[in-house]
Amino acid sequence: MTTNHSRGFKLQDALFIGFCATLLVALKSMLRLKLGLAGHSMLLMSFFYLTCYCTVGRIGAITACGVMAGAVAAILGIGNGGPLIFMKFFAPALAMEIVLVLVQRFTNLRWRLVIVALAGTLAWAAKGLIEDLLVGMSWQVALARFSWKVLQGGIFAVVGALLVLPVVRRLKAHDLVHSESKLDQEL
Amino acid sequence: MPISHSSLLSSTPASIRSLWLSALAMLLALALSSAAFFAPTHFLPWLAGIELVLLVHGMLNQGKISGLVRYIVLQLLFTIVLYLAIHGGNKVSEGVLAVARILLAIVPGWWLTNTVSTEAIGAILGKMMPNKWAFVVVASINLLPYMANEVREIYQLQRLRGARIAPKQLLNPRNWGEFSYCVIFPLLIQLLKLARQTAVAAKARHFGYHAKRTLWPSQRSEHDN
Amino acid sequence: MRLIELDGVSFNFGSRQPWVFRDITFRLDSGSCHCITGPTGSGKSTLLQLLAGLQERPFEGGVFRRQGMLAGLVMQDPQVQLLRQTVGAEVAFALENLALTSEQMVPMVQRALRRVGLFVSLDCPINILSLGQKYRLMMAAQLVCNPQVLLLDEPWAQLDNLGVQELTMVIRGLVAEGIAVVMCEHNPAAFEEVVDHYWQLSDGVLMSGIYRTEKRIPLQAQAHSDDVIIEAEPFEYRFHGDAPLFACEQPLQVCAGELVTIYGNNGTGKSSLMKAIAGMQGNIAPLPLKVFGERPKVGHYGQRLGLLMQRPNRQLFENTVLDEVAFSLRRFGLPQEQAQALLEELGLGELAEQSPHKLSYGQQHLVALASLVCYQPQLLLLDDPLAGLDSEYFDRFCMMINRLRQQGTAVLLSSHRPLPHTPVSQQWQIADGLLLPSTCTQDAAYAY
Repeated sequence: MTTNHSRGFKLQDALFIGFCATLLVALKSMLRLKLGLAGHSMLLMSFFYLTCYCTVGRIGAITACGVMAGAVAAILGIGNGGPLIFMKFFAPALAMEIVLVLVQRFTNLRWRLVIVALAGTLAWAAKGLIEDLLVGMSWQVALARFSWKVLQGGIFAVVGALLVLPVVRRLKAHDLVHSESKLDQEL
Repeated sequence: MPISHSSLLSSTPASIRSLWLSALAMLLALALSSAAFFAPTHFLPWLAGIELVLLVHGMLNQGKISGLVRYIVLQLLFTIVLYLAIHGGNKVSEGVLAVARILLAIVPGWWLTNTVSTEAIGAILGKMMPNKWAFVVVASINLLPYMANEVREIYQLQRLRGARIAPKQLLNPRNWGEFSYCVIFPLLIQLLKLARQTAVAAKARHFGYHAKRTLWPSQRSEHDN
Repeated sequence: MRLIELDGVSFNFGSRQPWVFRDITFRLDSGSCHCITGPTGSGKSTLLQLLAGLQERPFEGGVFRRQGMLAGLVMQDPQVQLLRQTVGAEVAFALENLALTSEQMVPMVQRALRRVGLFVSLDCPINILSLGQKYRLMMAAQLVCNPQVLLLDEPWAQLDNLGVQELTMVIRGLVAEGIAVVMCEHNPAAFEEVVDHYWQLSDGVLMSGIYRTEKRIPLQAQAHSDDVIIEAEPFEYRFHGDAPLFACEQPLQVCAGELVTIYGNNGTGKSSLMKAIAGMQGNIAPLPLKVFGERPKVGHYGQRLGLLMQRPNRQLFENTVLDEVAFSLRRFGLPQEQAQALLEELGLGELAEQSPHKLSYGQQHLVALASLVCYQPQLLLLDDPLAGLDSEYFDRFCMMINRLRQQGTAVLLSSHRPLPHTPVSQQWQIADGLLLPSTCTQDAAYAY
């Protein structure tokens, strides 16, 4: 579970990723009580994961943030705790990272972020689908639950992704982030 | 709430023996959770028996089961409604069994949270990660109360300044932009600053000088104090 | 013995950024104690990081560093520097990073703690230490590696008077051992017993001497009306499930136009009281407290109440200074011309179109205050507003407060030391778990 490819992060960037992940986990557990909606965790995940990517400006940031969030959630015993919680944060992150690499050359940044967020939602819902099938639900019921999650999570994820760019552009405009990457020119 | 959990970190450091016990408990929880998904149906009563013991043990350790109960009841309702809608009444028992397996899958995690200290889980996960990331996890969890306070204060400050971000106003999506500009944006600035300062503070104490760090002996002989 | 020498060093944060400092020359010998003064944001902390060898960005000019010389840096914020839970582990953090064995660590940690006069158990949890003890713990965490140079960033602001005395003694001992000490300090008088060279850093230039600006505008004495704004029955301030933080045995009352100062050491409950008055403090036992005749609730008073918290720069978010100041005017439906007028009056007119995030700390501080003052609240709460505020900006601070009070605003101001020569109408002191209000007649205030 170590992230070898991210070994090269500057300590400062690694800490920023860790802080985002921790805040994501903390906010998720606070919101859970207030909102009965299942998909809201996708809002937080897509927002924080993509913010990490855009501020740090490197491939690997999302996976690192996912690993951190999963680890922090397991340590703090968020939700019902335990080993399952790790996958809940890690699976969407990994899917987002992979899709991010695949779509790197297509369309503008805004749409790329939306596509990546949707990929995260699919992974998040697919994890639920696999679990449902494993515990023996019928195909029809599992698929119904899956589509409901994709729909709800998808909307939240897109909102999260759309919030990222204006905020990060503002950070950039005020010289608050100095990442020297190709992403810089697009921001 | 996560905030109160983090105060567990200030308890005395875990000893080597309790670390081994915690690692065993984590493995047990992982095995039981997996068994809930993969074990054949006739094995489930045995699993339920074992987990009943864990449940009692967790409750003796002041674990609260209200969250667990609420989660399972919601899952049960949602699933039964779906089964009724799709299959009519004849397959409901299949749905109930499935939710029972879900319950069996999450009880070990709940037990782990309530019986093994946060610090011990952190120490074990830390051993599985590279140095830098283990440090990042510890620093992030230590700073969580500070960050949570920062979120709260920035939010309240902006409300006092008249921002349209009261809970009721946030039900209107038109005010989400205001929320992201006046709360999230300054918050990210603070996180960036905090990350920069923490990095300098760690480097000022030679963090990253050696690939392999050693550890302060938290257990020492009497006369050392 | 020469330890560090800077010869014509220039530095900035990027090729297109302005110079933080230019052509600096500085020499540090063992057993000397230097103090660098200058306005906030003039680059003092950056200079310390450069001396410590922690600055990653490239700089111009020559830097001499004695072979094998170690420098230890104690930064401003304890929050980011205390990385562990117990005293022993905290001090050992540097040794862990240097991969020393645990047998080597224990005696080194014990020696470092003795050098700073901290006699507590190695397993003592850090969160029970006083602020002064925490500061010396951070020093021990540096001294454990036996550095020849110790760099201290703004110690005075973080310590109470006892803490300053203790620190002065420790510094004297270290200098006698031959360690070179460099500190940045806003209040150069605080450590004058031990400092032997004073420097001033402003506008990127480092010169001998102490940075001083003249204060011309005092806070004015002002008659106040009988309109009650805050009233409280005697109360105990207590977080749920905790022992009382402090108690107030007399009723409190603040009227329109009053200036009330609250002072006490860090952690006595000044900020918590301010937040409770603004209705922001959750998790406390209900207080018999009324503000504008009602129980405080956040967001309830609208334009009648303003609160400036510590580190006020964290509330800035707009694109320009003018927008920032005008934000509340827009939200409260007030005429927006007030913003420009206030900026002109404060002599900040030329900043109006600039980004508030690129200003110096002192300027940001003023902008945050201006964004509250411009909507003319009837009650203004200022939590430690003078921390980090340069004397250069103090005049403008006083201008704003005088202006508001002429219009009948009540101002509550907290600080961790009493303010001399201030014509306050009441002074509330929090000490030993007790809030003691004293009403000052105006003559008495002047005599003070």
